[in-house]
Amino acid sequence: MSKDASTEHAESEKQLEQVRNLLLGKDNSRVTASFEKDARRIVADVITEALHDRQQRDNSVDKVIQPFVEDSVKHSVEHNSEQMVSSLYPIVGSLVRKSVAAFLSDFMEKTNQLLENSLTIKGLKWRIKARQSGVSYAQYAASQTFVYRVEHVFLIHRETGLLLNTVALDNENKSDADIVSAMLTAINDFVGDSFLNDDGPKEQLQAVSTDNFNLLIKPGPCALVVAAVTGNPPQKISDQLQLTVENIHSLYLDELNAFDGNNQRFEQTENLLQDCLLSEQKSKPTDKKKIPWFAIALLFIIILFIGYKITNWIKTEKLHTKIMQLDAVPGVIVKQLNIRQFDDITLDVLRDPDAASINQWLSSHDLNEQHFTIIERNYYALDPSILRQRAQRIIAAYPDLSVKWQDSNLILSGLLDITKKEQLHNALAIAGFTAGQNLITDKLQLTSALPMLESREINQQVFDDIIGRIGAIQLNFPVANEVINAEMHASLQRLYQYITQLEPIATALDINFGLLILGSSDNTGNKTTNDIISLQRAKNAADILLRKGINKDKVFVVGLGQIEIPGISSTARTVMFNIIHINQSSITNDIKQ
Amino acid sequence: MIQKKICLLGASSVGKTSLVKQFVEGIFSEKYLTTIGVKIDKKVVTLAEQQIQFMLWDMEGNDSYNVFQERYLRGAAAYIIVVDQTRASSIREGIDIHTLARQVTDCPAILTVNKNDLPATWHIEDRENEGYQSLFDLQFSTSAKTGANVEEMFVALAKLLLKG
Repeated sequence: MSKDASTEHAESEKQLEQVRNLLLGKDNSRVTASFEKDARRIVADVITEALHDRQQRDNSVDKVIQPFVEDSVKHSVEHNSEQMVSSLYPIVGSLVRKSVAAFLSDFMEKTNQLLENSLTIKGLKWRIKARQSGVSYAQYAASQTFVYRVEHVFLIHRETGLLLNTVALDNENKSDADIVSAMLTAINDFVGDSFLNDDGPKEQLQAVSTDNFNLLIKPGPCALVVAAVTGNPPQKISDQLQLTVENIHSLYLDELNAFDGNNQRFEQTENLLQDCLLSEQKSKPTDKKKIPWFAIALLFIIILFIGYKITNWIKTEKLHTKIMQLDAVPGVIVKQLNIRQFDDITLDVLRDPDAASINQWLSSHDLNEQHFTIIERNYYALDPSILRQRAQRIIAAYPDLSVKWQDSNLILSGLLDITKKEQLHNALAIAGFTAGQNLITDKLQLTSALPMLESREINQQVFDDIIGRIGAIQLNFPVANEVINAEMHASLQRLYQYITQLEPIATALDINFGLLILGSSDNTGNKTTNDIISLQRAKNAADILLRKGINKDKVFVVGLGQIEIPGISSTARTVMFNIIHINQSSITNDIKQ
Repeated sequence: MIQKKICLLGASSVGKTSLVKQFVEGIFSEKYLTTIGVKIDKKVVTLAEQQIQFMLWDMEGNDSYNVFQERYLRGAAAYIIVVDQTRASSIREGIDIHTLARQVTDCPAILTVNKNDLPATWHIEDRENEGYQSLFDLQFSTSAKTGANVEEMFVALAKLLLKG
């Protein structure tokens, strides 16, 4: 009976199948064909609404579309860049402005945060605690700042334990993600086998927790999503992981099943994984925008410091220029000027004793001499004004003289006795005045020495001095030449002056004197010729002196010929002068005796 | 990048860990091995055309106290049976492990006769071992100490897997 029933049932099934085939075609081909014909219209009618509904339900549409949009934009940029540029052109300006403004604001915010964290007591405490607990400061700060924060998200192939994709908050420390995922799979397998439940499915690790760190594992049939979380993760993260793992399975099921080790097919899962990088800050940011006081204060201090430095530099430069004016003062040379501070200035100068005093100059220029350390050394300046001042100081001791200046030449006139004249000459020579160059004493007349002579000793000293000077004069001639040249003329003029000075003194001392003019020649050539030329040289010199007014009776001219002294004989082409003097009084005394 | 999971199996003290160490600079400490029975390292092998990253699952050696942990074989692209040429018993243990492994996977299997820097006490070509050779897709004689054939073995494995 039952067998009949089953046979009948099978028969009716077969007939039903035949009817189905007749009506719907083989494999529902008639139905499919009728749908295919209108498929475009049917889908077009609902596609927008369908996309909207699906997006509302699980936010999966935009994640699927995103890669296509990105590819399309990339394609457009590569192939239709002109069109892209013209489309984007109107908004580029505002984009750049916004981007720059965002960058600056971010920079200020970060600087402020850095300063707050580094310089405040809170920041220092965190640093110490981070060191004590052996974690990096950034990690510790994050754990203090956030209630929780997802640092890494891994997508792991369940069967092989291979890493399909990973995203990290700071895009660092990704290098060992593949080993971490393999180890996690191994641990998961270990746990699953160790706590094997004979009745039900294998145990599955859901979370790994430490004090501050949690690994949340959300398994799917083909893949796991794992989130590494600092802080206390709320249920929200778990929900998000669940949503993500479901989305990935619905979108990538085929790829997951056919996975052969190539994880490039899962690159697009990054957008889905990014959704899991959730975090929550401890103190909710207030609506009022935080003013970066620390950054502003630092900026203000820096500007103030730079301003101070610039002002200081300008002031120093001005002071330097002002003090360096001292260098232009005659008789003062600034060797070194060192301005360390405005009240600590070192001034190293060379100063002529006749120049203006440094302290006076400083006070006359509104500079406080107390602020200066002055290193002063003396020198003789040759500035005309200093020379003039120096000369006036010297001449002040000779009130009888009248002084005239012609350009920088000092012209002296008046009456002066011979000794004072000598002293004046010496003093002026030391002061930088040379007769014939910048000193003219032609109009200086000697007073009669006789009454002026105060003592015999002084006269005798002056007499000896003059004959010494006369003895020092020597005319040097070129080879085979006896002509008196201009230089010799000057020497003979000096000699003439000495003789005229000598005459009154000799008279006062009761001394007779005569001038010996001795010519000489070198030892080359004929001796007779040499005798003649030596005499001729002496005669020529004597002629000049006689013409100047020296008494012929007081002159004795001799030609010495060759001077046979080794080292001299070859060049002794000279005329020498000597005073022969006889003290009359001593002769008288001798006769008396 | 292509990634492949490779398992190293074999009796205790045949040199599995040393082989991995020779091939990569290990970053995880040995204690993982004794804790959960597996230690994992990675190494990128560069062939002429492409790169392949091996995730090397170095599994704890099997002896009478340690059972073969087949769970770690799941998803492996290949496994390497390591035996010791100074210990004749290791080839028999290796074949036992291979037989167990074959029950859970049919991926390529490689036989590595290690410690070839030491005198051999047995040879794979010996008559009693002849039958074993056909069980494996590839076969190598290596030394983890001198590094002989180690790199070559992994490169050959990479080529085999990419070809497949």
